[in-house]
Amino acid sequence: MRTLVVVLCLLSSIPVFSQTTVNSSTFGSMEARQLGPGTMSGRISAIEGVNDENAKIIYVGTAGGGIWKSTNAGASFKPIFDKYCQSIGAIAINQKNPKVIYAGTGESNMRNSVSIGDGFYVSNDAGDNWTKTGGLDSTEHIAKIAIDPVNPDVIFVAAPGPLWSDSRHRGLFKSVDAGKTFEKVLYINDKAGCADVSIDPKNSNIIYATTWEFRRLPYLFNSGGQGSGIWKSIDAGKTWKELKNGLPAKPFGRVALALAPSAPENLLAIVESANTGLYISSDGGETWKQQSASLNVISRPFYFSTLVIDPSDPKRVYRPAYSFSFSTDGGYSFAEASSDGGWVHSDHHALWINPKNNSHMWLGTDGGIYLSLDKGNTWMFNGGLPVGQFYHVAVDNQKPYNVYGGLQDNGSWFSPSSAPGGVKNADWKSIYGGDGFWVVPDPTDPNMAYAESQGGDVNRVDTRTFKSVGIRPQPTAAEDKLRWNWNTPIVTGTNNKKNLYTGAQYLYRSADQGKTWARISPDLTTNDKRKQEQEKSGGLSADNTSAENHCTIFTVAESPLDEKLVWVGTDDGNLQYTIDGGKTWVNVAKNYALSGIPAQTWISSIEPSIFDKNVVYATFDNHMYGDHKTYSGKSTDMGKTWTMFKSDEFTGYAHKIKEDIKSKDLLFLGTEMGLFSSVDGGKSWFRMKNNIPWYALVRDIQIHPETNDLILATHGRGIIIVDDISAMRNLSADILDKDVYVFDTKPMVLTMGNFGGNSFPVISAPNAPSLPSIQYYLKDRLASGDVKVEVYDSAGKFVQNIPATKRKGINRIYWNMRMKPPKTASGSSKVDYGATIAPQVMPGNYTLKIKVANKEYEQPIKVVHDSSSSFTIKDRELQHKTAMELYNMHEQLAKNVADIMDKQKLLKDNLDKVKDAKVKKQMQEYYDKLEALRAELIPTKTTSIFADETRLREDITQVYGSVCNTEAVPNNLQLERVTSLHQKVNEADQKNATISKQYEERIRAALVKEGLVKPNVKM
Amino acid sequence: MKPYSSISLLVLAFFFAGTVQAQTVEEVISKHIEAIGGKDAWKKVNTLKMEASLSVQGMDIPINIYQINNKAFRQDFTAMNMTGYTIVSNDSGWNFNPLQGQSKPEPMPADQLSAQKDQLDIQGELVDYKEKGHKVEMLGKEDVDGTEAIKVKLTRKSGSEVVYLFDPKSFYIIRSTSKMKINGQDIEQIANLSNYTKLPEGIVIPMTMETSGAPAPIVIKKVEVNPTFDPALFIVK
Repeated sequence: MRTLVVVLCLLSSIPVFSQTTVNSSTFGSMEARQLGPGTMSGRISAIEGVNDENAKIIYVGTAGGGIWKSTNAGASFKPIFDKYCQSIGAIAINQKNPKVIYAGTGESNMRNSVSIGDGFYVSNDAGDNWTKTGGLDSTEHIAKIAIDPVNPDVIFVAAPGPLWSDSRHRGLFKSVDAGKTFEKVLYINDKAGCADVSIDPKNSNIIYATTWEFRRLPYLFNSGGQGSGIWKSIDAGKTWKELKNGLPAKPFGRVALALAPSAPENLLAIVESANTGLYISSDGGETWKQQSASLNVISRPFYFSTLVIDPSDPKRVYRPAYSFSFSTDGGYSFAEASSDGGWVHSDHHALWINPKNNSHMWLGTDGGIYLSLDKGNTWMFNGGLPVGQFYHVAVDNQKPYNVYGGLQDNGSWFSPSSAPGGVKNADWKSIYGGDGFWVVPDPTDPNMAYAESQGGDVNRVDTRTFKSVGIRPQPTAAEDKLRWNWNTPIVTGTNNKKNLYTGAQYLYRSADQGKTWARISPDLTTNDKRKQEQEKSGGLSADNTSAENHCTIFTVAESPLDEKLVWVGTDDGNLQYTIDGGKTWVNVAKNYALSGIPAQTWISSIEPSIFDKNVVYATFDNHMYGDHKTYSGKSTDMGKTWTMFKSDEFTGYAHKIKEDIKSKDLLFLGTEMGLFSSVDGGKSWFRMKNNIPWYALVRDIQIHPETNDLILATHGRGIIIVDDISAMRNLSADILDKDVYVFDTKPMVLTMGNFGGNSFPVISAPNAPSLPSIQYYLKDRLASGDVKVEVYDSAGKFVQNIPATKRKGINRIYWNMRMKPPKTASGSSKVDYGATIAPQVMPGNYTLKIKVANKEYEQPIKVVHDSSSSFTIKDRELQHKTAMELYNMHEQLAKNVADIMDKQKLLKDNLDKVKDAKVKKQMQEYYDKLEALRAELIPTKTTSIFADETRLREDITQVYGSVCNTEAVPNNLQLERVTSLHQKVNEADQKNATISKQYEERIRAALVKEGLVKPNVKM
Repeated sequence: MKPYSSISLLVLAFFFAGTVQAQTVEEVISKHIEAIGGKDAWKKVNTLKMEASLSVQGMDIPINIYQINNKAFRQDFTAMNMTGYTIVSNDSGWNFNPLQGQSKPEPMPADQLSAQKDQLDIQGELVDYKEKGHKVEMLGKEDVDGTEAIKVKLTRKSGSEVVYLFDPKSFYIIRSTSKMKINGQDIEQIANLSNYTKLPEGIVIPMTMETSGAPAPIVIKKVEVNPTFDPALFIVK
């Protein structure tokens, strides 16, 4: 009895939880636009093709943009991994059943900005559906997947494992059940993982693997240690022997290993060591010999780990690295690819050679994919992969606004957010080189922007000429060397728009575009000398590219309410503010630590509230100490105390928090694995999935002050825009619990869209909607019935119906602000577009009737004229009057033609039946005269679109179309033409009447007499 | 006290386990067939006529559909005073689209014909799917605009595939996705089905369909079950 009561109590409490909550589906209709672009693309980590003659099916794995598939040999690509982790380390195809695809997440190009994976995925339907299997979730990085060519259920996965921490989750893993389960078959220690694996295609018991000891700290990188080595197994991975004979003395760093598929006893290895070199074996790795090697072959082994031998020619060796080298003599000498097909982006990480046609290959670089059809001599860039890795995004106030951003290894760019024909690759303009980060338009000067390359190379760039002026602050004689972050902040004032900030260990401010700088702080970092030994970075190979610079300022934010209040966050855990424009500083690092955030995290973003000076939000990124938790919080007392945001939905370390500009309860949080939103001030959060990859690497977030667009910088999927998020504001519980709620619509400005032109067939991203939306909320999916939306004018007359959607949550529909098109004359063999053209409505008050199932909701809409346009209201009145005259002419003509054809039909139906020969002759005459008239009014002979036939209907349409579809007053000849056409339409009515008068009565009388028609028939 | 609370926890665990227990694909399909009127009602459907329409920016495009089970299909549409059609039978398929400048019907590309022939079964392809030679596979769950739908893949005897997403409450299909070969490319076709309505004959059909590519939903206005058709309707002139 007692148990039953408990169960019942729990059951009755369930409705509390089922109250309407906001989640991703609430805003599902607010589909994001993925702007890309493919112009500069981004880092590629894996390429695999299905081995058939045409190699039409290609899979491309990317550093932060998921997996893309082409089914047409690269003519187009589609993303197929949008619901999962976006960082891809390896892809493998079971060539015996190419519907089976494996993906290892977490690329192994272990640079400072590398992302992490969350395991191993299997698709059994060529990428349509994926399942995570095998328990490799904590490996974080997967370098390679090798499938046994004899028994494809046997798979080896090389997992270097975590970069930022010790971990047991690394080594070589073997599955004998197609990836369902894995066993670790080669493991060195918690610092060294497995970086490469190859299976001998002629004897699949022979496996080669390389191990790699490596570690990053936020301020140092090490590649190398006793854990690195080259290993061989001759019993399919059960036992292993380390290969040493002829190889250099240990320690090794990363080793790139390749075997010749057509003669697998031949091996090549690039061994990072104190004396990094290329080694060749011709006896299955038992003995090795060093070869001389070009600079490119042995460059940056930790980052360039690709070495491939041609599938059929054991002498042809490819080394995609900093540049593309190839050897035709088994690796004894190397030549470089030509640049005749255009520059090939440096930094190569993937190469696929079509085994059925070894001239055909795909190369993956830090800037997209390239195709070669001549064995890698020349390369063609493919602009169809929009996987750019942006760090930051900024916008200006132009119409349409421009988007600015900098990308990993791909410089600084800007592009219009919408453009005629859509935003195309060519709309993006490159304004600065190197690695790009902050690109910020000058809010006070529309022709100026600030851009940089890595390590503080700050510039002012003229956006008309792209000429730049270096404005990086320099140390004074009394100061230490300046320490600039890899990703140095460049920030303009949100309160005083003239202010420009940048920071090394000191904060600098300029009020004159960087012509003069003032240092406005002491060293704001911990200045921990142990974290400043970057010249020792790299391990066995020196690697000091400013990527490890540390004890630097990473984020700067001026309060939107007070220019004297400035917040600064450093990469070593300091969070400081000044309330006097830099005279004094307060460090609140100890305070946030009290709320559970580890010390020395990167302060990845700071967001001083737009509503309250005391309120500040921040994100804290501790992943460089091996901690991937999502740290983000809010302080309402200037950083004294902090409340951390918590949610089961959170994944990924936090990059950016953004407060909405209108609603203080609306927040956005971008992490390494997703975009999250809260509509209740951070109490609850949900993942945004509205055409945003669920685990997108969201590095930066902006909200446009005019359009209310949400603009995301993703590190792998380019720029993503959610147009007009205003519906997310003030979605109160009261509204959420209503079955239907229609949002107020701002006065709708009459427009025919933002752009004209012809969309030439090139790849382009969609534009922002050019019409204002009508928005309504449905609490639930409609179980039955439909949603119908109709517009009525102020007199209650029906104007138009609008196709409606009926999603759960917010629905967005668009009215083109036109009437219904006219009825035009039918019966022609030619299409006339007059029937699709409708006049715009006039400004005024309209009523929207939204019928949801059986209930009707009314909402007023005001349609207004754009008073800023050179097209005046008087012009509009004349345009509308003219358009309506033409509209009515179409309908008048349609009526006349229908009348003619009705008569013709009657005549034709009775022609054979009538007995009186004289009447028959008259009927034929009557019919022919009507036909002659009809042939003046509409085309009657057209048999091909290439043989034009213009009649009165077409004449009307021509003027009607140009009057209706342009935002301009009709010109003098158009107006004259309307008068003359009107006359012709009237004349046609008269002609019809005259012909009828001549025949109608006589023929009718005769037909009535013969009993064929009734006396009152019209003919 | 103690024993009671642990028992209650057990009961509770059982209760929740019951609610989330996976359903077999057969159960889902049989509940679906029940929801759409049952096998017997569908087996009686030999011909169907539907009058539908699509409204694009105020322009209404009427669509008439005529179907004979496993034999023939015709769809007419009228726009800009011109009528075009698609006619499919077991051995041929034709398209006539005067809006694209065609002056006479053109034979359907082979890939389209094969996809259209899959649609000739009007008695519900999930009814007696085994006897029809189709195979089904449970693919778990997937969110369809806020509904955690049951995802089932049907592989037809012809080899073509379609994924059906079922509302877990009503067991209606709320979305179908399939790949159509169009000009040699696999194009994903998504159809959202709604406004399920029971006809006097007992069958339940979705009266509204939103398809990928169409600018507006297609709304069925009238359905006739088992009308007699003039055979000339299915002959290409």
